[in-house]
Amino acid sequence: MSVTEARADLSPVAPPPRPRGRWRSIGVLVVVALAILALLSQGLLSSLNYFETVDQVLAHRAAVGTKEIRLEGLVAARTIVRTAVGTDFVVTGSKGRVVVHATGEPPQLFAANIPVVVVGHFTTRRGLTFAATSILVKHTATYIAQHPTRVRAPNGSTR
Amino acid sequence: MTRLAQRLLGPVTLLSLAVTAWLGLWVTPPDRVQGDLARLVYVHPALAWVALYLSFGTATIASVLYLWPRTRSVTADRVAVSAMEVSLVFILLTLATGSIWGRPTWGVWWAWDARLTSTAILGVLALGYLALRRANDDPEARARRSAVFAILSAINVPIIHFSVVWWKTLHQGATVFTSTRSLKIHGIMAWTLLISFVAFTLAYGWLVRARYRLEVARAGREAALLAEAIARRAAEVVR
Repeated sequence: MSVTEARADLSPVAPPPRPRGRWRSIGVLVVVALAILALLSQGLLSSLNYFETVDQVLAHRAAVGTKEIRLEGLVAARTIVRTAVGTDFVVTGSKGRVVVHATGEPPQLFAANIPVVVVGHFTTRRGLTFAATSILVKHTATYIAQHPTRVRAPNGSTR
Repeated sequence: MTRLAQRLLGPVTLLSLAVTAWLGLWVTPPDRVQGDLARLVYVHPALAWVALYLSFGTATIASVLYLWPRTRSVTADRVAVSAMEVSLVFILLTLATGSIWGRPTWGVWWAWDARLTSTAILGVLALGYLALRRANDDPEARARRSAVFAILSAINVPIIHFSVVWWKTLHQGATVFTSTRSLKIHGIMAWTLLISFVAFTLAYGWLVRARYRLEVARAGREAALLAEAIARRAAEVVR
């Protein structure tokens, strides 16, 4: 047998196995879709907004009732009182204020004049007292250098 | 890229990262509200910049170039997979540094708000892209399907970017890419932030280049192995 004839024998004698890429691709897509649905189901499917502001909640206070919500507002100056179980303070919007009784340790940055998101519920159907199980500090996008000689305002803030 | 630029890319990247660390840890002042926690601003946004815009953007553009008949090439496919792998690493780093930053500032490691969740979804999509490539034996089908997947996944990038504008999120709004084009950070803090973006951009270039070379080497090795197998088979038949 010559070398040329031997090389001719290299052609495949049986068809190659059918690539199974299509079904495996569909499997990957299904897994990805399920993973995305699982992530979205953690809150975004019910609402894309993470919280409601004090003004929004007060605008439809009766509808909110005592169901659990995330409430955002500015911590009013000189209202923070440490209690045996947590912290009491007032959060304000432009149109109203809500008294918060929070349990647990507040975050490191918790202070007056800082926006916070409190998680919990109103204690009564129409009242403005909120029982919070956690406090989340919502810091702003502005970064300003600390200055040791900066003047401190009577409300505790510095500019 | 010239040979000199290629040789300098690694050292310049390391130098710029070292300068960022020095400025961020020792030179810049603490923030008025966040104190020393704000130093993560010299890491986290730059990582997100690379993950979302540079890497994922490169993978998407390369995927478009692959699908477009006039620009279709194996190079575009290799660039796409290289950039997507780097993107996945940087997405994970973005989520990790964000979580580390979130614990002391927000008070929680994680919040299911629109920005965080959509970024996590991008991570799943990047992982899905790489899994999709492994699922296909045929190189052409693999490149085509993953390119389509990358382009569809890129729809999530503007959603992530504008999530803090469209919806109420716990995550802060834009500090640099604001709608009014005004910076919300100034002085040495702003310059350090800019240098961090340059440093991580260089790191991205370095990593993508290394990953691309690996992809070329892998293809070359596969071709060599195939040629070797054919030669061995031919020798067996001759014997």
